[in-house]
Amino acid sequence: MLKKILFKNSRNSQFVFATAGALIGLTALLLSVQLMLDVRSFHSTEEELFGPNSVVIQKKVTKMTTIGMNNTEFTPEDIDALKEKEFITDVAPFASADFKVGISEVEGDGLPHFYADMFFQAIPDRFMDVKDVDWTWNEQSEFIPIVLPRDFIMIINYGFAQSQGINQISEELLMAARLTIHIKGNGKEHKMIGRVVGFSQKISSILVPESYLAFANPIYGNGNIINPSRVFITTTDDSYGELEDLMEEMNLDIAKSAIDVAKIKTIITVVIGIFGVAALLIMLLSLMGFVQYSQLVLSKASYEIRTLLRIGYSVKSIVNTFIRQLAIIFGLITGFSIIIMLIVKVFLVNPWLDNNGIQLESSSILPTIMVAIICFILFIVANYLNVKKTIFNLGKDQ
Amino acid sequence: MTIEFKSVLPSPLKEYPHQNDSVWKSNFVLEFPNNVMLNASSGKGKTTFVNLVYGIRSDYDGVILINNRDIRTMSLFEWIELRRTSLSVIFQDLQLFGELTLWENLILKNQLTNHKTENEIESMLNHLGIGDRKNQICKTLSYGQQQRVAIIRSLLQPFELLLMDEPFSHLDEQNAKLALDLISEETKKNNAGFILSSLGSKHGYNFNQELKL
Repeated sequence: MLKKILFKNSRNSQFVFATAGALIGLTALLLSVQLMLDVRSFHSTEEELFGPNSVVIQKKVTKMTTIGMNNTEFTPEDIDALKEKEFITDVAPFASADFKVGISEVEGDGLPHFYADMFFQAIPDRFMDVKDVDWTWNEQSEFIPIVLPRDFIMIINYGFAQSQGINQISEELLMAARLTIHIKGNGKEHKMIGRVVGFSQKISSILVPESYLAFANPIYGNGNIINPSRVFITTTDDSYGELEDLMEEMNLDIAKSAIDVAKIKTIITVVIGIFGVAALLIMLLSLMGFVQYSQLVLSKASYEIRTLLRIGYSVKSIVNTFIRQLAIIFGLITGFSIIIMLIVKVFLVNPWLDNNGIQLESSSILPTIMVAIICFILFIVANYLNVKKTIFNLGKDQ
Repeated sequence: MTIEFKSVLPSPLKEYPHQNDSVWKSNFVLEFPNNVMLNASSGKGKTTFVNLVYGIRSDYDGVILINNRDIRTMSLFEWIELRRTSLSVIFQDLQLFGELTLWENLILKNQLTNHKTENEIESMLNHLGIGDRKNQICKTLSYGQQQRVAIIRSLLQPFELLLMDEPFSHLDEQNAKLALDLISEETKKNNAGFILSSLGSKHGYNFNQELKL
């Protein structure tokens, strides 16, 4: 009965606009939050191997380098300078094998006969973000895990294999087969078994675990101390701009494709961010619309509210009746927003991205629902404070 | 319940002269249960008096005490509590909810206090001759009928003092008598008193005290 008295004049255009605004604003806000999360959780296969935001840098080879006027080594001072950059969170020089390496097939494992001279490099294990692969090596290990540049298999399949008349090899086959590793140096020779555990677009080196180089270098190496010529760095999110400045400054070379993903992610994040800010503004406007709507309903019902207070109804019971009604309205808005957001995402945005070659893995919708709930609470609290104040004032200046 | 006035003068009445025996600008104490008649011609401040004691107006000089408490210091919450438990009122303009039915108006009050059963309310309605109007929308009732609804509503709560502002203005003597009987009976049950403002008629009732404005 309280509801009937308080909301007798509650249907008006203000209500329609506020509801539409809240619905659109909240839907857009939730959509941008959800897409933002999806983009954040988007990794290329490269990143799966090395963790996100990791880049290999090296100094450019110039004419001067070729004639020996400068070299491409990173001195300890260079490394320290890199470590001091704020956008770089981790720095790891590549360790190189100080001995000769060659690989060939293991007979009977399905690979055609081949032999290639190689080199081994290693980065610290913390950069290897491999989950399904055992990237540890010790003297008891059955084989040496190896990560090959993806270009390597390209050269074999589309260059070498065709010209030599041998079969092409799939990545799966290469990963299933064992390799013979020929080691030569310091007057010693040795054969070991290796196995390819992954491919990398970013690193054009043949990577082995650090522990293996630590073991092999003292045995087969010539004892030379060489400064690293490549450094593996991890950057903070969205820092490709700073990275480009650094490349300029230190005359660095970088795998362009490696920063493309970061670039695209940053751009998408910014675009969605702008969309999200606009959505937030719509939300706030509609919140104000609702506050005004309840103000209007309250002032239309001011006679009723005063009378209720005069016949002994408490401020609280009137406020609660009001808020319960608004909670139902906004609860419905929130629910519908979540549903519309999911429909738009699944049936419009995802297919569109898919058609444009961007496959986003859907992340959990829980954080988005949390955002919706926070908006709901914010809405209720704002209206509660406003309604309570208005009713109290109506009671006071009666 | 005691109500004490200390040189009270409502702002709108400042300009007018007041007789020596007027309640304005004088000191007096009203003790309840007592039945008090507030007798004055129109324009002397009867409604103002009722509104002052009910806490609806605060534009006055002087001090009003209810149970020795200065009513200026009472919060809205204290007023609501007082109005729910010990101070009831019949406004001159009734202040019913026009959109609700007669019955809903009464239930709205009674569900707050649980003071009467539905049967008791119905017999009150029948006593005042409006039992057949139960489901009629309030604003479509005649003013005399609405007045009777307001009277019954004021009795649907415990009280120590019932303030009545010309409650019988649109009732004939017969109906006024019936209403006053009902009020008197309920007042006794509550061991309470009342203040009745009227344009002059005592409706044949024997009052303990009479106030002049």
